[in-house]
Amino acid sequence: MSRLKSLQYYVVLRLLLAPLQVFTIATIVFLLLRATPGDPITALLGPRVPESVRNQLKDQLGLNKPLLQQYFDYIGDLLQLNLGSSLTSQGTSVWEIIQSFFPATAELAIFSMIFALVIGVLAGMLSSARPGSGLDVGGRLFGIITYAIPLFWLGMLLQLLFHVQLGWFPVGSRFPATALPPDGPTGLYTLDSLLAGDWSSFWISVHHLVLPCVSLGIVLSGIFERIVRVNLRQTLQSDYVEAARARGIPERRVLVVHAFRNALIPVVTVFGLTFAAMLGGAVLTEVTFSWEGLGGELFKAIKGRDYPTVQGIIVFFSIIIVMASIAIDLVNAYIDPRIRY
Amino acid sequence: MSRRTPLHFLSLFCIFLLLAVGCGRPSGPASSPSPSVLAPEQLVIGINTSRIRTLDPADAYEIVSGNLLYNLGDRLYTYEPESGELVPQLASALPTISEDGLIYTIPLRQGVKFHDGEPFNAEAMAFSLNRFIQNTGKPSFLLSDIIFQDEATQEYGIRATGDYELTLELKQPFAAFTDLLAFSGLVAVSPKAYQEAVGANEFLPTEFVGTGPYQLDSFGNDLIRLKVFPDYWGEAPKNQGINVKLYSSSANLFNAFRTGSVDMTYQSLEPVQIEALINQAEAGDWQVTEGPGNVITYLTLNLRDEDLKKVEVRQALAAMIDRPLLEERVFRKQSAPLFSLIPTIFDVSEPVFEKTQKSVAEVKDLLKQVGYDEQNPLTLDFWFRSNVSSNGAAASTIKAVIDRDYAPVVQVNLKSIESATAYENLDKGTYPIFMLDWYGDFYDPDNYVQPFMDCEQGNPEQGCEQGASQTQGSFFFNDRVNELIDQQRQTIDPQKRKAIFKELQEILVQEVPFIPLWQNKDYVFAQTNVQGIQLQPTQQFSFAPLKKS
Repeated sequence: MSRLKSLQYYVVLRLLLAPLQVFTIATIVFLLLRATPGDPITALLGPRVPESVRNQLKDQLGLNKPLLQQYFDYIGDLLQLNLGSSLTSQGTSVWEIIQSFFPATAELAIFSMIFALVIGVLAGMLSSARPGSGLDVGGRLFGIITYAIPLFWLGMLLQLLFHVQLGWFPVGSRFPATALPPDGPTGLYTLDSLLAGDWSSFWISVHHLVLPCVSLGIVLSGIFERIVRVNLRQTLQSDYVEAARARGIPERRVLVVHAFRNALIPVVTVFGLTFAAMLGGAVLTEVTFSWEGLGGELFKAIKGRDYPTVQGIIVFFSIIIVMASIAIDLVNAYIDPRIRY
Repeated sequence: MSRRTPLHFLSLFCIFLLLAVGCGRPSGPASSPSPSVLAPEQLVIGINTSRIRTLDPADAYEIVSGNLLYNLGDRLYTYEPESGELVPQLASALPTISEDGLIYTIPLRQGVKFHDGEPFNAEAMAFSLNRFIQNTGKPSFLLSDIIFQDEATQEYGIRATGDYELTLELKQPFAAFTDLLAFSGLVAVSPKAYQEAVGANEFLPTEFVGTGPYQLDSFGNDLIRLKVFPDYWGEAPKNQGINVKLYSSSANLFNAFRTGSVDMTYQSLEPVQIEALINQAEAGDWQVTEGPGNVITYLTLNLRDEDLKKVEVRQALAAMIDRPLLEERVFRKQSAPLFSLIPTIFDVSEPVFEKTQKSVAEVKDLLKQVGYDEQNPLTLDFWFRSNVSSNGAAASTIKAVIDRDYAPVVQVNLKSIESATAYENLDKGTYPIFMLDWYGDFYDPDNYVQPFMDCEQGNPEQGCEQGASQTQGSFFFNDRVNELIDQQRQTIDPQKRKAIFKELQEILVQEVPFIPLWQNKDYVFAQTNVQGIQLQPTQQFSFAPLKKS
């Protein structure tokens, strides 16, 4: 079988298996939620509401049905792409919640990853280019410190310095409360403002993104720095790199063009999975910066035992993770022609 | 090779971008070409809370959503901001009450319009109140417990008996009923908007169409905009709109206020942040307004517990509480010691638990009378909610005092549990001692007595089997208390009611099914250019008088 055929077969197989993976995750989440102590109706109504009202609401929401029937109802709805309605916010569908909160998460994830990738890859390359030098020591220290630093602590420090002391960047929102945010098709303020040709709104959105993205990006950049450094150093010791050097190719070209591409595969894998995980919500960043994203919403739904919302958001995340892992495999195969599935 | 690397990054980026676009919000009204800056006369009010769950008055039961409804809508009655006196709002006069106290006839104001232009009348008010009950939202029991329901027709006793006359029929007389009608959720809503848009028994969580001085401009995840309703029947707001900014972190709100990003904030900050803002307010950086709150924190004692069923043990526990220490250490003087379940905002409040103060030796003697000493110590599990930060600190302080003064005769084990699980088990008698808090639904002392001490079904031996005290996890049952609660609910005369409440509080301190701990204080912080701040005893905060100079 040719490489292309084998890749096509692999992708089709993965796509066919994807619903099964999502179904398994949905089942596990359904069971785990029911096993968790705490009843959604009591969590919703609190202790002060009479038993009769609680029972009435349980009946209304189908929570008095046998567990098996609840499960089949849920899977039946899922097959019809119906994620259900929130228990805590009656009248709001789970899909509406995802639509409403996901753009903030996606925007934070995209900009943070760009920042982390640029800083991490550059630091990793500089470190591996001069092993044992001051740059290398500095790069390693940067990698260890940023990897170990608690995100919420870094976030608070940056807030204190750049928001409270210097007043350079705002916190606690995606757009000023006194202005109307761009209203576009994506919900990503930066992209919507660009689509509308509104540069002023674009820069305002970026201005509000700086502190959360830098905080999250710095922490993530440590991961990339370490992976790039280790893999690039290994690659730089390979025979084909020595051969390139022997041919008189300048060291910078050897590093950037010849070695870096082969060192990229683990970076792409980690990038893809980290990015997919971040699309599931960077809860700590969202809480630290009052960034109203999907991760924070999932956390609140878990606290409130809002079964449909938790199930719906996790199914949505699992779809992202499954699709991201397929995308990673494809990109890896594209980068390294030796890879066969 | 070098051309392919950026390409695959770009393709990955595009995949997720497509995902984001695919999940994007449906297009709303025409997008604005530039960031339209709102009028400078608009105020930004910062609040530390997660997303507002709902603005549907038939389902909203939280303090923040209640306060938004208070400003967006009108009720039949409201409170005069300064005097706290109950006055008509959508009603044109106080109700006429039948001799048996069951029929309330309420004349309504004319010339009132809803935000959608529909006229307000008795049919609309009856629709709003019926919907409040029939949708069985979170606060529906407040009215369904009181209003008469015809068993044959299943209809509630809420009727429009004229174009501008509403008649309400009660199950039994209830002296605080007019105060209940001032509850924030009992606002008039447009039948057209609520019946046609969502149908019967459905909620409209992100919209509001009422008659208040403000109308809902937008309802976002972290920002709610209120604009002035130009056709409001009453006095127009002194500002041009309010932007309520929600912060999920109190630190963000604290920083946002200090840097002037928000004009004012209230009911939102941690004690250490409030202390810092109060200190800086003295330097003139901003202004602070303080008032007594209506949120009480208390211990509920499970009378089915082998140790706690002895009244001497409960009395001893009450004597062990060092309230001034809690006020100083935990709340940095931002709470007030509470010596009754009824907070001091009501004149019927009697500081009955001041009498429980005893010396250490007296408490030990009391415990010795019922068999507890160094050889047979009293061991108690003390539960609190792990997700309420102040409760953990308060519980630790109470335990430290008991360890210092009463060990080894009394041993307290602190145990914490997340609130959702706690509420599920509270009425099952799982917890011997539990720390809880309570805020009143309406401005009447009944709301601090009946939901604690009343019991529908029970006996002195088994305790309460069904009713309020069972729901609280106390299982307290006392015939005289039930009788007194009924009496005060039927007594209109304030002096007679006061005497009944006094007797109820005396029984409370003798029987000690609950131990009141503290009552909160409310703080409003505002920039120096904000005027018109009125902190009301009802805890509702009126936006209309606010003005930026």
